[in-house]
Amino acid sequence: MRDLYQRLALAPDVDAPTLEAAIEACPNRALRQDAEATLVVASHRQRYDETHRVLRDIGSLRARLGLTHAPHWQGEAANDFSQPSSGPASSLDTLTSRVSEAVSLFDRFKRLGGGWLLVALFVLGACVGLVGGLALAAGLGVL
Amino acid sequence: MPTGGFSSFERVLIESRSQVDTAVLLLLAWVLVKRRGVSDSQRRRRLAQVTGHFRHGHAPTAMLEIAREQNIDALQLAAEVIRRDCDAQRRQAVMHQAITLATDDGTLSTENHHVLRFLADVLTLAPTTLATLFLELTGVALGRPEDISRQAYWLEHDADYREARAREEREANEREAREAKEREARQAAEAAAQERKRQEQARRDEVQREQAREDQARREKARRERARRDPGPTPAPSDAYKTRRALAVLGLASGASRADIRRAYRRLAQLNHPDRFYTQSDHHVALASQRFQRIKNAYDYLIKASL
Repeated sequence: MRDLYQRLALAPDVDAPTLEAAIEACPNRALRQDAEATLVVASHRQRYDETHRVLRDIGSLRARLGLTHAPHWQGEAANDFSQPSSGPASSLDTLTSRVSEAVSLFDRFKRLGGGWLLVALFVLGACVGLVGGLALAAGLGVL
Repeated sequence: MPTGGFSSFERVLIESRSQVDTAVLLLLAWVLVKRRGVSDSQRRRRLAQVTGHFRHGHAPTAMLEIAREQNIDALQLAAEVIRRDCDAQRRQAVMHQAITLATDDGTLSTENHHVLRFLADVLTLAPTTLATLFLELTGVALGRPEDISRQAYWLEHDADYREARAREEREANEREAREAKEREARQAAEAAAQERKRQEQARRDEVQREQAREDQARREKARRERARRDPGPTPAPSDAYKTRRALAVLGLASGASRADIRRAYRRLAQLNHPDRFYTQSDHHVALASQRFQRIKNAYDYLIKASL
C-alpha cells in the first residue's frame, strides 16, 4: 500500500476541499485516478485512514526497534512508511532505570525517618504560618 | 530522564507477575482490535479464552484499551520485553496464537496483514516460517496484503462504486459518441461547401483561361503586325544595369575606379575561395565555388567594360 497523502504532499488529516484541489492539481494521471477512488469517497477514505494509521505506527515502531531492514518489511509499504532510525534508545532500559531511581528515592525517604519527617515538616510549616499571621495582625493593629 | 509519572502500561508491566505474559497479552490484544466485524464483548471473551493459562495476574481488559489507542510507546515496550525474554519455543507459540486470533473468521484484515508481519519480525521468524505456520493453521497460503490505495481494489470490492464508475463511463462514452457524430456531420457539411466552392472556382478558372487565350491571340496578332511594320533586333539589357549589378556583387558603389575593383576582387576572392572550405563539407565547397564564380564573372565583366 502506498502513502497517498505523502505522495500528494498533504497531511493525513487534511479537509476534503483541500484534498480534492490537490488531487485535481496532481500531474500524474494514474495517481490522480487512485487518489480519487480511495480518498474522495468518504467510506473508502475512512478505511484507508485506519490502515494508514496502522502502517504509520508500525513504521515508527520499526524505526525505534531497529527493524527497518527486517525481512518482512518490504515493497511499497516499506518504501512509503519507513522512518529514519531514531538510535538505540531502549524504552525497556529507560523504564528499568526510572524504576530503580524511584526505588532509591523511596529508600532515602525511609532512611531519613519516613513518616516522622513528614510530621516534623508539617509542624514546622504550621509554626511559620502562625508566626507570620501574628506579625501581620500586630502590624495592622499598630496602623 | 523523562519527566512525569509512569504510563498505565508501564505500571501494569511493573506490577505484573510475568512481564512476558503481559507483553504478549498486549500484542495479541492489538491483533484482536484490528479484526473487523467483532464486538467488544466478543473480543474480551476471546482474549480471556486464549490467555487463560497466562500468569500475569491482572485483568486483560485494560490491555484492550491500550491496544485500541494504539499507544506506540506501550507497543514498543511490549516488543522489547518479548525480544528480551522469549525463547524460540515461546516465540513460535506467540505467532501461533496471533495467527489464530487474526483469522478466527477465515479472513485476514489488511491491517492484520501488516501487524502479523511486524510481529514475525519482532519474534525473528523468517518469512518462510511464517508462511508455513499460516498455511498449517488456516489451510490457505499467506498472500500479499491487498493494496487499498489503488482504484482497481475499490472497483473489485465496492459494488456501488463500480456501478457508479460504470455509469459515469457510459455517460462519458455516450457524450463522446454524440460529439463525434456532431463533428462528423459538421465535417460533412464543410466538405460539401468546399466542393461547391471548388466547382465554382473551376468554372471561374475556365472562364479566365478562355479570356487569357483570347488575349494571347490578340497580342500575338498585334505583335505580328508590329513585326511586319518594324523588324529591328530585340533590345539587349542595358549595360548600365549590368555594371551596377556587378559592382554590387563586389560591394562597390557606382563610379569605382579600376584599382578599387581590383582590390575588392582580390579581397572577396580570398574570402570565398573554395580551397578555404576544403576541410568542411562538400556542400560548403560547392557553395563557395558558386560565390567565387559569381565574383569572378562580375570582375571579368567590369574589367572588360572599363577597357
